[in-house]
Amino acid sequence: MTATTKLVSIQTKRSVREPVGVFFMIAFAPLFAIAMGLIFGNDPQPEFDGRGYLDANLVSFAAIIIAIVSMIVIPVDIVTQRETGALRRFRATPLQPAAYIASDVVVRFVLSLLSVAAMLAVGTLIFGANLEGNIVNVLLAAALGILAFLAVGYALSAIMPTAGVAQLAGNVLVFPLIFLSGGPVPLAVLPDGVRDFAQYSPLTQLVELLQALWSGEAWHENWVPIVVLVALLGVATAVAARLFRWE
Amino acid sequence: MPDAIRCSNVTKHYGDIRAVDDVSFEVHDGEIFGMIGPNGAGKTTLMECIEGLRTRDTGTVEVFGMDPEREVRQVRERTGVQLQSAALPHRMKVGETLDLFAAFYQNPADWRQLLSRLGLDGKADSYVEKLSGGQRQRVFIALALINNPGLVFLDELTTGLDPQSRLAIWDVVRDIRDGGTTVFLTTHFMEEAENLCDRVAIVDHGKIVALDTVANLIASIDAESRITFTVDGTPPVDRLKEVSGVTRVENASGRVVVHGTGNRFQQDVMSVLSDIDLNVRDMRSEQPSLEDVFLALTGREMREGQPT
Ligand SMILES: Nc1ncnc2c1ncn2[C@@H]1O[C@H](COP(=O)(O)OP(=O)(O)OP(=O)(O)O)[C@@H](O)[C@H]1O
Ligand SMILES: [Mg+2]
Repeated sequence: MTATTKLVSIQTKRSVREPVGVFFMIAFAPLFAIAMGLIFGNDPQPEFDGRGYLDANLVSFAAIIIAIVSMIVIPVDIVTQRETGALRRFRATPLQPAAYIASDVVVRFVLSLLSVAAMLAVGTLIFGANLEGNIVNVLLAAALGILAFLAVGYALSAIMPTAGVAQLAGNVLVFPLIFLSGGPVPLAVLPDGVRDFAQYSPLTQLVELLQALWSGEAWHENWVPIVVLVALLGVATAVAARLFRWE
Repeated sequence: MPDAIRCSNVTKHYGDIRAVDDVSFEVHDGEIFGMIGPNGAGKTTLMECIEGLRTRDTGTVEVFGMDPEREVRQVRERTGVQLQSAALPHRMKVGETLDLFAAFYQNPADWRQLLSRLGLDGKADSYVEKLSGGQRQRVFIALALINNPGLVFLDELTTGLDPQSRLAIWDVVRDIRDGGTTVFLTTHFMEEAENLCDRVAIVDHGKIVALDTVANLIASIDAESRITFTVDGTPPVDRLKEVSGVTRVENASGRVVVHGTGNRFQQDVMSVLSDIDLNVRDMRSEQPSLEDVFLALTGREMREGQPT
């Protein structure tokens, strides 16, 4: 086995052994779907044009969880590792930083995607949320969103000086994005100016892409969010690669 | 003798602080070489410049004839490093950690053998963070040995350990040297340097102020030893003063301190005491130590673990 595959295997085991990590990375999203299903059910509602609560909101909440994990949980984890000198020991070996980062990204990406898939499975199979589109398309869109927000998380990790600052900055950045995403607060109830401004938020774009594919729209009808997310992925990856530090 | 390390005129600043100041020295193949000095003396900085983990400002460093800043990969392949401050990511087991680090190198050691050599049999499935301090330190030593290095750097490997674990680690270090690996270590403990190191460099304010075997360093300062004892009756102060090498005799109500220099004076004092017909009790002999060498060279005490 090469160093990278061994790293992937160890990073996977480490994530699974960290109770808080497992909760956020895998179980939080499906548990959240269960909570929503139990509280709101999925009966047709006039405010969702006759669709149920889960029909209308499941993928929005998947997007929000992607943002929270990528922009708060992961940067705090990476900065904590850097602060405790945990990555310093790797620097004293012939291991290439790129090999380390690649393994880290693979593991976090797969865990996030699994968690979103589990959330959608819970919503549709247990609570009967109605998927009008194709599940493969929805998962591909979620994968794009995860990659873009993960890249943002790595860029934040490179910039943030301490875990405390990373936590604070993550919260300060994520909660306005969530508010503007159209998930918990429908964009329709917001003033026009705020609603227009919200269109610049990548999280809003991800929510709109997921909802469009969920309700059966085609990819080509949604090129704006795709361009926004791919651009975010490119910029954040460049920043993260340039600023990565072992210590 | 070929040299594992050669440094000449190495200097390193952090801003205005000159942490390493024009240092030149060699570490011979196959020896245990130690650096001692107070906190902030620049030991770690110098070591990291040699490891290639820090960029020196000026000077040259050769590790097995290679520049650690240029031939990074080859130097990493042939050296092992135990850092003064390094943790590992949480929730890694001992065995899988060693297995992972083995995968980073071209000629890794058999990590199971390494574990048993370091007395960590049966610990492969324990989490590194759940081990005792001494066991964890051994894991970091194992990581430093995972690539069968010809040279291993050990930065303060016994700081924070109890005396018993420290003795056990000393055996491990001697064992490493006897296996043919050159050892370059730093320590705060004079005792450790005295017991373990073939040669010692005393570092102060970024400079090496002395470098030799412990015996030569102590001999070089021509310091006094002391013999202290208690007698019932009148001590033979005048006879003791005549012993060759004795410089001074103090007598405070039966408690006698004889100061002197040279190799023979202690023996001669003993024979005077065995001649006389008095009860001699509580006899103690104090030799000059590296502590005295540091005091003589810098005019300051280097107390263990105390910032100066
Ligand atoms: N990363 C750094 N940035 C700025 N200054 C530093 C840094 N590392 C060390 N120093 C300073 O350089 C000097 C030498 O530090 P160094 O860690 O090399 O000493 P040391 O001899 O290893 O000390 P100790 O015995 O406490 O480990 C100190 O004054 C320290 O404050
Ligand atoms: Mg140090």
